[in-house]
Amino acid sequence: MSSQAVGSSSGGSGDGDAPRRNSRKPKYSKFTQQELPACKPILTPKWVISVFLLVGIIFVPIGLVSLMASRKVVEVVDRYDDACVPDNMTDKLAYIQNSTIPKTCTRTLKVPKDMNSPIFVYYQLDNFYQNHRRYVKSRSDTQLRDANKANDTSTCDPEGMINGTAIVPCGLIAWSIFNDTYAFVHNSKTLTVNKSDISWKSDREHKFGSNVFPKNFQKGALIGGKALDPNLPLSKQEDLIVWMRTAALPTFRKLYGRILVDLKQNDTITVTLENNYNTYSFGGKKKLVLSTSTWLGGKNDFLGLAYLTVGALCFFLAFTFTLLYLIKPRKLGDSNYLSWNRSPAGR
Amino acid sequence: MAEDNGSSRHMSASQKELGDEDARVVRVGDAERTNERLEYAGNAVRTAKYSPFTFLPRNLFEQFHRLAYVYFLVIAVLNQIHQLAVFGRGASVMPLAFVLIVTAVKDAYEDWRRHRSDRAENNRFAAVLSPDAATQFSPTKWKHVRVGDVVRVTADESLPADMVLIATSDPTGVAYVQTLNLDGESNLKTRYAKQETLTTPPRQLTGAVIRCERPNRNIYGFQANLELEGESRRIPLGPSNIVLRGCELKNTTWAIGVVVYAGRETKAMLNNAGAPTKRSRLERQMNRETLFLSAILIVLCMIVAALSGVWLRTHHTELELAQFFHKKDYLSDDKNNNYNYYGIAAQIVFTFLMAVIVFQIMIPISLYISMELVRLGQAYFMIRDTKLYDTSSDSRFQCRSLNINEDLGQVKCVFSDKTGTLTQNKMEFRCASIEGVDYSDITRQQPAATDRILVTKMPVSVDSELVELLRDGGETEQGRYAREFFLALATCNTIVPMIPDGPESENKVINYQGESPDEQALVSAAAAYGFVLVERTSGHIVIDVLGEKQRFDVLGLHEFDSDRKRMSVIIGCPDKTVKLFVKGADNSMFGVIDKTMNSDVVRATEKHLHSYSSLGLRTLVIGMRELSQAEFEQWQMAYEKASTALLGRGGLLRSVAANIERNLRLLGASGIEDKLQDGVPEAIEKLRQAGIKVWVLTGDKQETAISIGYSCKLLTNEMTQIVINSNSRDSCRKNLDDAISMVNKLRSLSTDSQARVPLALIIDGNSLVYIFDTDREDKLFEVAVACDVVLCCRVAPLQKAGIVDLIKKRTSDMTLAIGDGANDVSMIQMADVGIGISGQEGRQAVMASDFAMGQFRFLVPLLLVHGHWNYQRMGYMILYNFYRNATFVFVLFWYVLYTGFTLTTAITEWSSVLYSVIYTAVPTIIVAILDKDLGRRTLLKYPQLYGAGQREESYNLRLFIIIMMDSIWQSLAVFFIPYLAYRKSTIDGGSLGDLWTLAVVILVNIHLAMDVIRWNWITHAAIWGSIVATLICVMVIDSIPILPGFWAIYKVMGTGLFWALLLAVIVVGMIPHFAAKAIREHFIPNDIQIAREMEKSQDSHDATHPEVQLSTMARA
Repeated sequence: MSSQAVGSSSGGSGDGDAPRRNSRKPKYSKFTQQELPACKPILTPKWVISVFLLVGIIFVPIGLVSLMASRKVVEVVDRYDDACVPDNMTDKLAYIQNSTIPKTCTRTLKVPKDMNSPIFVYYQLDNFYQNHRRYVKSRSDTQLRDANKANDTSTCDPEGMINGTAIVPCGLIAWSIFNDTYAFVHNSKTLTVNKSDISWKSDREHKFGSNVFPKNFQKGALIGGKALDPNLPLSKQEDLIVWMRTAALPTFRKLYGRILVDLKQNDTITVTLENNYNTYSFGGKKKLVLSTSTWLGGKNDFLGLAYLTVGALCFFLAFTFTLLYLIKPRKLGDSNYLSWNRSPAGR
Repeated sequence: MAEDNGSSRHMSASQKELGDEDARVVRVGDAERTNERLEYAGNAVRTAKYSPFTFLPRNLFEQFHRLAYVYFLVIAVLNQIHQLAVFGRGASVMPLAFVLIVTAVKDAYEDWRRHRSDRAENNRFAAVLSPDAATQFSPTKWKHVRVGDVVRVTADESLPADMVLIATSDPTGVAYVQTLNLDGESNLKTRYAKQETLTTPPRQLTGAVIRCERPNRNIYGFQANLELEGESRRIPLGPSNIVLRGCELKNTTWAIGVVVYAGRETKAMLNNAGAPTKRSRLERQMNRETLFLSAILIVLCMIVAALSGVWLRTHHTELELAQFFHKKDYLSDDKNNNYNYYGIAAQIVFTFLMAVIVFQIMIPISLYISMELVRLGQAYFMIRDTKLYDTSSDSRFQCRSLNINEDLGQVKCVFSDKTGTLTQNKMEFRCASIEGVDYSDITRQQPAATDRILVTKMPVSVDSELVELLRDGGETEQGRYAREFFLALATCNTIVPMIPDGPESENKVINYQGESPDEQALVSAAAAYGFVLVERTSGHIVIDVLGEKQRFDVLGLHEFDSDRKRMSVIIGCPDKTVKLFVKGADNSMFGVIDKTMNSDVVRATEKHLHSYSSLGLRTLVIGMRELSQAEFEQWQMAYEKASTALLGRGGLLRSVAANIERNLRLLGASGIEDKLQDGVPEAIEKLRQAGIKVWVLTGDKQETAISIGYSCKLLTNEMTQIVINSNSRDSCRKNLDDAISMVNKLRSLSTDSQARVPLALIIDGNSLVYIFDTDREDKLFEVAVACDVVLCCRVAPLQKAGIVDLIKKRTSDMTLAIGDGANDVSMIQMADVGIGISGQEGRQAVMASDFAMGQFRFLVPLLLVHGHWNYQRMGYMILYNFYRNATFVFVLFWYVLYTGFTLTTAITEWSSVLYSVIYTAVPTIIVAILDKDLGRRTLLKYPQLYGAGQREESYNLRLFIIIMMDSIWQSLAVFFIPYLAYRKSTIDGGSLGDLWTLAVVILVNIHLAMDVIRWNWITHAAIWGSIVATLICVMVIDSIPILPGFWAIYKVMGTGLFWALLLAVIVVGMIPHFAAKAIREHFIPNDIQIAREMEKSQDSHDATHPEVQLSTMARA
């Protein structure tokens, strides 16, 4: 009744009806009709088995390579926090807090295998929560970078201002900088520790200003750690820069320096260290670590083992699935499996 | 009865103070005085919600009605407290601000458009009678038109306000209006100016007073009276005397009216309520899982808080000197001051609150906005679907409600109207029974003669014998009755004949305009038999009786109402007799027919009626009575009194009508065919296969309903019919009890043989009333759910809603109601999903509906295809959003265990904020809009696949638990593989955080990718693009030198370990999901999986046999 076809056809969509001038008929397109060409992958047995096999084939070799890499790393770890406390001192806290007691301590390390240069010297702290919320927030990155923003210490409490003037670098992190030192002697020859380039280049160039100098640092009632040379700009204070890259986990290593000499198996190294840093107050441990390095980093078998396990698991799954598919095969797309065809029909 | 009593009582009480308190007083032509006392609304309309000043507060107020937003606001506020500040100021407010801003921009845009249209509307010009210049109409902006103004409107102009007509260009005072904008009906409606005001120049009417009812939204009702100056008589005004804002004047050169309602008080504006807001079932279920997530969140926070307490307790002696804790503030004056430490108890509380802040995205904030976007996308595709486009009415699918798209995939019960929904509502006169003689013999049918000058638009076949009888048998008894019969058809209606202007000689097509298709069919039939209605004014009609034009005075008209179920006219014939013609439904008519007069005829007619209705025809019974002068005068007095009453007029008129409509002589009956719409039987068959119960609710008689039921394959021959059709309470109870025992018997039988006998329940409106009255609903329910088909006949509109409510209350079945008429509105609003058919009966059903479309058969693609897709997509998206955010929160949680329980995050705060907004939001939205588990063809071929939605297979508690377990596993993989690899290394927080960020983003995106069923280029772009986007974001964040993690990503990406770990995390994280998917799909496949495989093999078959594909394409 309402269809008064206006016969002005201008080549229409061939629907049989004369196209109207102002027809509201939606225009056909593959998109609007949801008919875009599409790929419809289905998890066929072939796919499942191939995926598992493929993962296995990729993972097992990577696992082997990583495991080998990890095994190639030679690592010497020496925990010295307890050992460096003189035997007669039972109260370790009193020992470390008493600045009159000399803190020098000598340790002897044995090289288990040949170590090729560069040998990385790390210190390792255990149970030190560099990721503690109170700690990790207590820093001022604007202050580190820009000499004009020395007073940006609002985020640095409780080590922000002393007697009304800003501390540079402020905050708990900088305040608690590690201050043990190590000197190495090998075959009665001093092993130089190269302490340059231990921090990130990006940090030295962009994060720590070359015209920002320490100020009022470690002047408070409680000394957190190392004092900084007030005449050296922050960008040159590489220990600080390393320290301020806060560790992600409560047990961590930080690079102390590099030894650019090869060491042979069974060499002994004498370490003279200044045991200044207070980890006794919270039961932390201090370790000195000498380690070589590979493409994978330091010694850690986990990655290799993980890859091997996953690879093996995938082979196992591939096998299991093959077995399952053989035991209980199903024809793909068989309409007999549809629930309404499957139900036991009475007639 | 009860209603009548009530209204008449009310009327008698209020008739005295009419016009003084209840009514609004409009002084014609005197807007000043009209408006001086009572503040009537001006004509300026305002559909916009906000003004520039109120936008911000009002919009925010409205947005925060969402509880989730309040939650995020509380968290953002908590974060501003110094001790709890986990995130920076910007980062903490950002997610909420993002969501609020997106919504606000959307709202602002919509409101701006409303403002613009308001301005255009308010600044249109209308010709208003100005008080100064004599009889001069001056153009006035619409917004300055006031109540009481006299406005002149010319042809094709829109009406600026609701006006009472006082004069028109037509000498009889007729004006035609098109109400398309108001109710969507395109036919012309007749409105009349009162004879008393017709000839008076407008200015002289000044001083007349119109008393009318207060503004209300009933567009079909109006009660008022007009008191001319110096006259005490009150002229009654009714709905036919008012023209409404939004209508257009048609076929009338000009019309003059008095504004009675303006602006927001016009009926159009009062009816301008928005679409009903419903919430989808999925969204309601989602709340349950949101509660679970809240519980998990609180548990996580409590764990962290408790552990932090334990940690502080065991380390409390060490806190003072530990460099990383630094309990005391040594730099302050009081050396014993604690720095930011308030004792263990306070620390536990702080930790708990901070944990809530850190883990807040456990409740996915972006989910709400994603759902809205996805629904928008789905609606776009539904609207654009060419398969849902109706050619005959040129109408697209309409999504009026944007909240319940996914409900379309879970419907279990469809309630359908019959007329106009299953049928076309294009009536065709088929047969007549006159004076007990049946004229329905097919063999005698022939097309009506077309050689006459006036031809109706609707072609009607006529019975040649009847034509002859009319022409020649003027003297016989039978011939006289036949003439009376067709005279009744031609007069007893409200049809307006429209005759195009043109030279006299040519054949003219009369267009019968009217509100009822039945009447159109009857008038066309009368015209075909030679009784051509050619002119109608408010006072008389002109009928071309077998070539001779005769004028009949319309003395009175009792309109059709659903209580009486009949209408009548009182006609003054040219021979000075006064006749009453009545037509109506058979059950109402046989009550008022004098059966003693010709009992044989009555019996014969009843028999014919029965046979007509079993053919599926709609039947009407015609009766008449000649009125004596005394009778007529008595009626006229009562009629005038009733029609001038301001209050309770409807009831009064009804009783006047009931008084006169009695002792009728039966003339005959008519049978009108209402053809089925295209594809209805097939559609019903498909719906039934899909496990959807179809209930038909109709006002038709039982026989008609049953025969339509057969013709649309709703009923089949193997069905056992249970009929409940009783006239009394007791028999109804007995009927129902019988039905229950029958159902039980059949049920016990069927369990033995496995073959279910399909049952059909047929129940009529009266029985329904008894059942609902006597609280036996549960019994009815018991019977109804056992039946495959339920057919309710003779139901009133409100009963339709009652039936829907019965099912809605007692089952969890999703209900859908579909209808086209005003009588379906209550049912459409009651059902979970309401669908309106934009058909012949106006647009009220569409206005009340959630979705509107042109044809009943579109229900099949709508439910089976779009509904299935929508449900599957939305269900997956919600689950995925929960999973995605939970995975991230768990990764944060594991890390917290290694930070002394202090809620440090290695992942930068910006990444955690952007995670659910940018890193992972786009792919899920894209997939939820575009992914299809099965193609249209498959879904239509196997309607049973619809069961997946009914069984809630895409979203349920089991899936939620599984995906949460997956989430925990993946978070373990993401966290612990790098953790174990980087233990005792120099790794810094920034680098590890970046690794975790990337790992979790890649993992959740691959998880999504693994579940995507159809990969097209958009999906590819979204998924891989968002991984790239994440990488770019992380790089940008790490390029800001003042953030602690500066340059970390560049540094860590240079190491082999990073890549090895990333690969390991992804593989380890995905193995369980992959293996489970492989097992599920192969060993315990669901129907959708099988169908997917069939589709795939079909596709490859098509690819190798292209000609097959072509032929199927052509079929589709």
